[in-house]
Amino acid sequence: MSLAVEILALPLLACLVLAGIHAYLGLHVLARGVIFVDLAFAQIAALGMAAALLSGHALGSAAAYAYALVFTAAGALLFAATRTRPGAPAHPSHIPQEAIIGIVYAVAAALTVMVLDRLPQGGDQIRQLLVGDVLAVGGGEVARTAAVYAAIGLVHWALRRPLLALSFGGEVPAARAWDFVFYFTFGVVVTSSVRIAGVLLVFAYLIVPAVAGALVSGTVRGRLATGWGVGFLVSVLGLSASYAWDLPPGAAVVATFGALLAVIAVARAVAGLVRAARQDGPRALAGIGVALAGLVAIAGVFLAVVPRGDHVWLTGLEAVAPPVMTAFLTPRERETLADARAAIARGAAEVARLRTLEADVQFGTRQLEPEQRERLRQFLAGRGEIVAGDRLVVATLRRHARERQRFVLGVPLAVGGTVAALALARRRTRAASVSP
Amino acid sequence: MLLPLLVAATLSVAATTTDLRDLVTAVGGERVRVTSLTDPRHDPHALEILPRQLVALREAALVVRVGLDHEPWLPRALAGITPRPRELDLSRAVVLLGTETPRLRAERAAHVHAFGNTHYWLDPANARPITARIEEALSALAPAERAVFAENRVRFLARLDAGLARWELLLKPFTGMRVVTAHDTWPYFARRFGLTVAATLEERPGVPPSAAYVAQIVARMRAAGVRVIVSEPAAPAALVRRIADQAGARVVMLAPSVGADSEATDYLTLFESNVTRLAAALAP
Repeated sequence: MSLAVEILALPLLACLVLAGIHAYLGLHVLARGVIFVDLAFAQIAALGMAAALLSGHALGSAAAYAYALVFTAAGALLFAATRTRPGAPAHPSHIPQEAIIGIVYAVAAALTVMVLDRLPQGGDQIRQLLVGDVLAVGGGEVARTAAVYAAIGLVHWALRRPLLALSFGGEVPAARAWDFVFYFTFGVVVTSSVRIAGVLLVFAYLIVPAVAGALVSGTVRGRLATGWGVGFLVSVLGLSASYAWDLPPGAAVVATFGALLAVIAVARAVAGLVRAARQDGPRALAGIGVALAGLVAIAGVFLAVVPRGDHVWLTGLEAVAPPVMTAFLTPRERETLADARAAIARGAAEVARLRTLEADVQFGTRQLEPEQRERLRQFLAGRGEIVAGDRLVVATLRRHARERQRFVLGVPLAVGGTVAALALARRRTRAASVSP
Repeated sequence: MLLPLLVAATLSVAATTTDLRDLVTAVGGERVRVTSLTDPRHDPHALEILPRQLVALREAALVVRVGLDHEPWLPRALAGITPRPRELDLSRAVVLLGTETPRLRAERAAHVHAFGNTHYWLDPANARPITARIEEALSALAPAERAVFAENRVRFLARLDAGLARWELLLKPFTGMRVVTAHDTWPYFARRFGLTVAATLEERPGVPPSAAYVAQIVARMRAAGVRVIVSEPAAPAALVRRIADQAGARVVMLAPSVGADSEATDYLTLFESNVTRLAAALAP
């Protein structure tokens, strides 16, 4: 466990640093409606780096970073110049800023591909320099980044009045200049974040905490607090999940962001329903009832028509309540099922044990004669096949059960769901026509 | 359409990699003009077909390829080419490693190359059967030059054997030593020189390893005293560096192909530089 801490300490620290500044910048980005601007900046910085290499500067040299910075500044100028005021009258030929961001992204990406094709070093190193893996961050890198972000955070705090007013639709003198300040600092942050954590993770840290904040709170302060909470929580949960379930860490954190947002959304919806039900009585639930009954009907029809399809809900139900499946099997089949399941558990444990033994032998921490090693290899291959065979048995028995569930379960669900959905829908329309 | 090529003094050949280009040159000598369709400095998995490659394929009388699933882009590139050049799949010339794939997906096992590991050119001894096939194919296309090709090959093999003896001697003190590799590129190389690849860091190129896998590798490397991680230009440098730091190991950068590195200028210097670097890294 101490090794886990050793491996994950720096990545977690890096994630917390990212969460700190991105949750704040995300509020701006969301308010301005420039969701993909970070991808455009990452690509612009990549182009700058590639251009530096093409001009003969070494990878990772100060000149290369200067190039990336100058390109970022140029991008910031472009975005500041093309920003449309929220209050401005809509012109017939009005072009949304997202369109310009998309164009900048595509053109920068295309130019980078062309430059990389001409480079003596090839594209791999540059891509690696620009798109990091959060598991690989070093201590110095985290410290440097934290210092830069703290400085930018201070700048934003000092200039919070014009910057916040600009993003949230206030009137500010010299708006384009402030826009440039915002986009330039934003570009610097995003460029260094992407180098640490990769495009996917940075995008998630930027947008998801801000969205979560907007769902929960109305004030900038409340949104920021929520965003930070969400960012920190997800960093810890995602990296722990990566360790516990053997998942790529960046992807695990992004998926956790998605899951958390879904939980918040469902909780809000449920809270809304409860409030409505308290106000108008059970009639308020008719709409969701129609939807649920409709889903039940569709699931029933699908089961009755295509019993061999993937009925995920039914498989899940069977995992929780085995009788849902075993009730549809003959006693002999039930016995076979139990045997196969036990064999799978035994076999999987055996394979896991032998895999460990194999790794021990590979690393030389345990010695085996060549003949024994060959037997181990063959045994492992054979075991794997046997486990696969048992899985096939389970799948076949499930198919047998489905053939019987088709009529006993599928048809009643289809009929019951349809009737319930129609009845609820009628009640709803009647209630609607009475109430005004 | 093929006829002018056959009577012409030079035969056009397109090789999919620089390694095979060099081996074709070793046999064909001045009678053959070979181009490599790919640049080893670029990511082979993200290859976009360039006009240059289509020109090379159109001119070629023979396409020499690594085979297996190493060139997923080749059928697409060849689709519009008429007449289709002959193809020489060199994976048929050698004994492959890593061909065992669980037929049913019984367990989660990373296996990038489902038909066997494709990096067979990294065993210098494999150059013998490979050049034999190349000689056969070239002789079939230009029967008049048969003797020249045979002579070229004999001369190349003499240099190769001298090199192989030297390389084996250089790595002999380290027989049985264990290394961890960044990608699954080196099984043929390791077997030839008596090294054991204990584990691979990134089992699927481009999919970062999980935190748990990294922890497991670091713990095992510490326990077993594995001192060297073999990396390559396409591997994630920062990750390899960090794991090496944690496990107390050295990183040695080897070139998996001719031209991937400034020192690996041809098939023989590829091994010369790789073996020298590896021996230096393995030395206590």
